[in-house]
Amino acid sequence: MTTNKQIPSVLKLIRSNIIKYGNPLALNPRQNSSWVKDLDLPTKGEILFYTGGEYQLLPYLEPLLKTMTYIDPAGRAFSLLMQARKLVNIFGVAPEKIFAGMLAKDKERYNAINYKAAYILKKLGYDLCYDAQGEIYSGALLYELGFWQDLKSYAVRVAQAIRKTQAKTVVCLSPHAAEMFKHVYPQFEEFPELEVKTFVELVWEKRDKLSPIPTDSPVVIHDSCRLARDLGISKEIRDILDSVGVSYIEPIRNKEWTTCCGGPGKMLFPEISKIIAERRVNELTDTGASKALLACPYCLSSLEGGLKQDKPMVMEDLVEFIYRGVN
Amino acid sequence: MSNFKKELAEYTKNLNKASQDENLAQAVTRAIKSYRQNVEAAMSQYPHTSALAEEARAIKDYSMANNKELLEQAMQVIESNHGQAFYAEDREAAINIVKKIVGKEKIIVKGKSMLAEELDLREALQEEGNEVWETDLGEFILQLKNDRPMHILAPSIHVPREQVAEIFSKFFQKEISADIAELVSEVREFLREKYFTADVGISGANVVAADTGQIVIIENEGNVRLCTGLPPVHIVIVGLEKLVPTFQEAMKVAEVTWRYANYGAPGYVNIISGPSRTGDIEKVITYGAHGPKEFYVIFVNNGRRAMMNDENYRQALHCLRCGGCMYECPVFQVTAGHYGRTYLSGIGSVWTSFVEGVESAAPMLYTCLRCGRCVERCPMQIDVPKMVGRLRSELASD
Repeated sequence: MTTNKQIPSVLKLIRSNIIKYGNPLALNPRQNSSWVKDLDLPTKGEILFYTGGEYQLLPYLEPLLKTMTYIDPAGRAFSLLMQARKLVNIFGVAPEKIFAGMLAKDKERYNAINYKAAYILKKLGYDLCYDAQGEIYSGALLYELGFWQDLKSYAVRVAQAIRKTQAKTVVCLSPHAAEMFKHVYPQFEEFPELEVKTFVELVWEKRDKLSPIPTDSPVVIHDSCRLARDLGISKEIRDILDSVGVSYIEPIRNKEWTTCCGGPGKMLFPEISKIIAERRVNELTDTGASKALLACPYCLSSLEGGLKQDKPMVMEDLVEFIYRGVN
Repeated sequence: MSNFKKELAEYTKNLNKASQDENLAQAVTRAIKSYRQNVEAAMSQYPHTSALAEEARAIKDYSMANNKELLEQAMQVIESNHGQAFYAEDREAAINIVKKIVGKEKIIVKGKSMLAEELDLREALQEEGNEVWETDLGEFILQLKNDRPMHILAPSIHVPREQVAEIFSKFFQKEISADIAELVSEVREFLREKYFTADVGISGANVVAADTGQIVIIENEGNVRLCTGLPPVHIVIVGLEKLVPTFQEAMKVAEVTWRYANYGAPGYVNIISGPSRTGDIEKVITYGAHGPKEFYVIFVNNGRRAMMNDENYRQALHCLRCGGCMYECPVFQVTAGHYGRTYLSGIGSVWTSFVEGVESAAPMLYTCLRCGRCVERCPMQIDVPKMVGRLRSELASD
């Protein structure tokens, strides 16, 4: 078998960021935990609220993509590969520099999803803990991109971070993180035994406590691949909507047959990824709904990117939607 | 810039170009819609299919674990049926066996075979001065267009009728309209003569029953019947993974194959166990009555044994080549066969890793979204995302 020669540079970059900074885009931990504000979550407890820094990444993704894709419009494919090396240097110092195009309101919105999720769970009666300093990324991309050797040592770091909180249950906002904790890390020796839950499941368990959410028209549900297929969670979202009195429509493909948002292709094949996102948006708008609900950070980012200029539809995270019912 | 960077850049450019091709987009969109409708209709008309698929999975499990014995048994019984059986370790060996049987400057009619694509068999035979005709309509169009298949079952999925008319008009040297029936009829007339004058017919196989040596070939056009029935020589090239223990089991696997390939029942199922024969004069068995006098079966390894011996990848050999996964793959839906070479999309990247090497498959391996919808569609529940992840880890390992 050959070595790193066959690995696209951009993937190597992501790998080294995760290993070096505990985050695929080398964002700093203080910034990742700035959302917590007045929630006053202890650092130790039974139920660990785990963001993995994933919603926090989202505002950086689109500008990053634009930077990578359009630096050299004459040879996009080449620039994508060539620029990656330069980005390493830039990333190490101040990743924000290349994100001049980032919108402050996006940053605020995606950060607030963490806050809203924790707020909802607290309101529903869950005692959460959160380790602002110690939390590191789940390592999902190491797994998905094939950096399995690195994953061994990374798992130890994740395990340490979890142990420190003394949690018995981890509640994941991102289905990708949940997949890691539920299906991947248990294969590693000495990884702490954990009950793994997604945000959706915890809300579902106490959905009777939610207040009705007034809506003018039915929403359309976009199931995430990880959530619906790998974790088998799709009915729960419908049950939650039923209990808050919201009617919903299904697109042509959903639940275990759901269509991918294109997100996983973003880093290497941004143009194909965008077309896939646009096609999924078409499947969602074909239902006539003007709002789509989803429960995965990458789906949110991709499908936002797949919306046409005239924004025929609002993409909303289930967290944002339910927040209305607890406030 | 390293070769890999160049290759990846070229591949990406090609994917992007394909994604902007309106003909391709329209053709694939139509094909997906009709595939989904047809397969749903076929499933509801034959509701036993999913239970049968479960049986087929067990049959394949057993067959992979006992492949060596099945191969031995099949080769023996083919010989006792007055055929000749060969084992080919790799591409070169397979090509050499075919070349030796065929010779030079012959006319050959050929049915569709993924293995033949894998081996570049047509090109190899043409180099020997043979005249080789693809008889599957889609493949025939591609042969004239000098293009490659864009879907394993619908190879010319990307060529609209107007373009077919253009290609045919040039080839047949007369004005042919873009009327589909007319296009089909032109090829029918042309190939008819080839079937009768051909020296050799070559086909692939969907399933092989080890106990009876029977070769099962599923088709709709009727070209395989003619290719395998009219010329005096019939050569079957088949991958080791197509062997199952018994004829009854072969039929189960065959039914699952065509059902998921969206047919209630295919036009034809050819079952062949040896050369044509008669005992009508004094009960003396004489070979080559109406059909071929000579019958050859070449079992090809070319990386399959390595797949079989690795429990992480063995399940890839269960692939029935129904093509269902491709219609459900979001990347394939945008790029069609540009996502791959011979073997396409996610499952194709696993196959390519073994028949060509994991380095050659790298761009494909990184294309998979690992979304997993192919697994939902697959009658054999082949976990492509899992294997893709593992192959990526092989690319990344020191």
